[in-house]
Amino acid sequence: MSDRRIPRLLQTPAVVLLLIWMLIPLGMTLYFSFIRYVLNNLRRPEWTSPSLSNWRGVGNYEFVLNSKDFWFAVQNSLFIVGSILFGTVILGILIAVLINKTFPGRGIVRVLLISPFFVMPAVNAVLWINMILDPVLGLNGLAVGGINNLIDNLQTAPVVGGFFSLWPEFEPISFRATQTSAYAVIIMVTWQWTPFAVLIFMTSLQSEDQQQKEAAILDGASAWSQFRFLTLPHLGRPIAIVVMIQAIFHLSLYAEIEIVSRGNGNKNLPYLIGEFANNNIGAASATGIFAVILANIIAIFLLRMIGKTLME
Amino acid sequence: MAIVAQTSRAGRISRATFAWIVALIFFFPIFWMVLTSFKTDADAVKPEFLFFFTPTLENYLNMTENYDYWRFATNSVITSVFATLFTLAVGIPCAYAMAFNPSRATKDVLMWMLSTKMLPAAAVLYPMTFLTKNFLGIYDTHFLLIIVLSLINLPIVVWMLFTYFKEIPKEIIEAGKMDGVNTWGEVKEILIPLAWGGIASTALLCFIFCWNEAYWTVRLTTTEAATLSKLIEGNRAPEGLFFGRLSAVSAAAVGPIVVLGWFCQKQLVQGLTFGAVK
Repeated sequence: MSDRRIPRLLQTPAVVLLLIWMLIPLGMTLYFSFIRYVLNNLRRPEWTSPSLSNWRGVGNYEFVLNSKDFWFAVQNSLFIVGSILFGTVILGILIAVLINKTFPGRGIVRVLLISPFFVMPAVNAVLWINMILDPVLGLNGLAVGGINNLIDNLQTAPVVGGFFSLWPEFEPISFRATQTSAYAVIIMVTWQWTPFAVLIFMTSLQSEDQQQKEAAILDGASAWSQFRFLTLPHLGRPIAIVVMIQAIFHLSLYAEIEIVSRGNGNKNLPYLIGEFANNNIGAASATGIFAVILANIIAIFLLRMIGKTLME
Repeated sequence: MAIVAQTSRAGRISRATFAWIVALIFFFPIFWMVLTSFKTDADAVKPEFLFFFTPTLENYLNMTENYDYWRFATNSVITSVFATLFTLAVGIPCAYAMAFNPSRATKDVLMWMLSTKMLPAAAVLYPMTFLTKNFLGIYDTHFLLIIVLSLINLPIVVWMLFTYFKEIPKEIIEAGKMDGVNTWGEVKEILIPLAWGGIASTALLCFIFCWNEAYWTVRLTTTEAATLSKLIEGNRAPEGLFFGRLSAVSAAAVGPIVVLGWFCQKQLVQGLTFGAVK
């Protein structure tokens, strides 16, 4: 009787829930982005509740596009995402090739390598910015202090002392300024996501054609040309997927930025939206729509690639 | 085999050594956090106690006093467990129908589900706050977090289950139908026992993602339903004051999950690349 109806019924809850989850909040964002809507305004109290009579058209979009913060946030988002992608892909390929062949303790090496990926983002940020990168009390500060002490001691040494007294005192890098805290975020996220790239490249290397490789070795191909002409082309698709998935994740990077750079100006789009949302909901919503557009540009390519393999 | 033997012994040894060094470097921050958690707050910032110190359990014993750890941990457990169960309850029937009765729309529905995952969370920050605070009155409740965590993980879960279910021969289900088993019976008696491994690893991965989620858990809670992410985020900048105790609470927050993660490395590839890398 119900060959058709039951499967459809079984899918309904999932589809309806996701539809609500997607349409209602996004619809509200779209609506708020076209009206004047602020949380506190004593002179114009009518703006503090959403209403069509406060229609502003594309005014919020113009406001956002004209604000320096927005362009800085876009630029900074792209800089952070780009640097992380570059680091994780290069490190990921190198490490995957390195551990692709068996060696003693390979299982343990894999377990050690994958671990950073499961550390929650909040802990990742707190651990790096305090215990490791702090310029005074973290390992960064302690190591530079140790080097300075060593040089101080060498300066009084008999023969080489004269040479070392020419050396300057080293200054540890502080990762709490605008630019350097972006570097801190890049370092910690690269640390966390390199394991992901390694895992994917390794999975893909397992399916590399070994006979082709052996033939190449017999023909006297060097290790480099094997890598360049066999392995790298084989990794093309996984690289594209790693890049797109990470781009989508890191464009909404939030916890790390919040923890590392509160108040020092190192913002990305999600952080800027959070700042706007403290008062100017209209601007926050318009920025949100821009973020959706940016993510969609990448998502379209990703979905197209996945779609191809879907029904195999 | 002759070819493999050509790689020199020295080459193999140096390769293995190098691999070990890289792995140890990557693991070092986690090791450092665990090591620091056994130091007193005062020792943690003294260079002379970098590696050699008198270990103490004080930081772990005082976690409740210092941070109210167990309240946050309980919230994390409750929200992650129930979100995982709810996601599976919605996801299993959906993936079952898609795998065994695919229609022309199935592919599009799957792709559309994935596309919801790609929506940047920050874009809907204010509507979510507004809806849950002023309209539904469920801001800062377990219920809200369970629903939100389920919805953000539902696409991945459906996707993973779908790829597992596809591997099961259709004939087995057909045979069940001949014997007059109804749909619920098919799922309970045939599908779940057969795909048990796949369902378990999907659940494990979903649980890990829920546990580590750090946008909605931070922005949609204040005190009542606050999870471990919120706890750590709230103690972000101690300026060297509490390195020992902060390390202990961080290690307690990530330890169990890192260990769980070791068991689902393979599923991670499948779950995060939506089956596009095999």
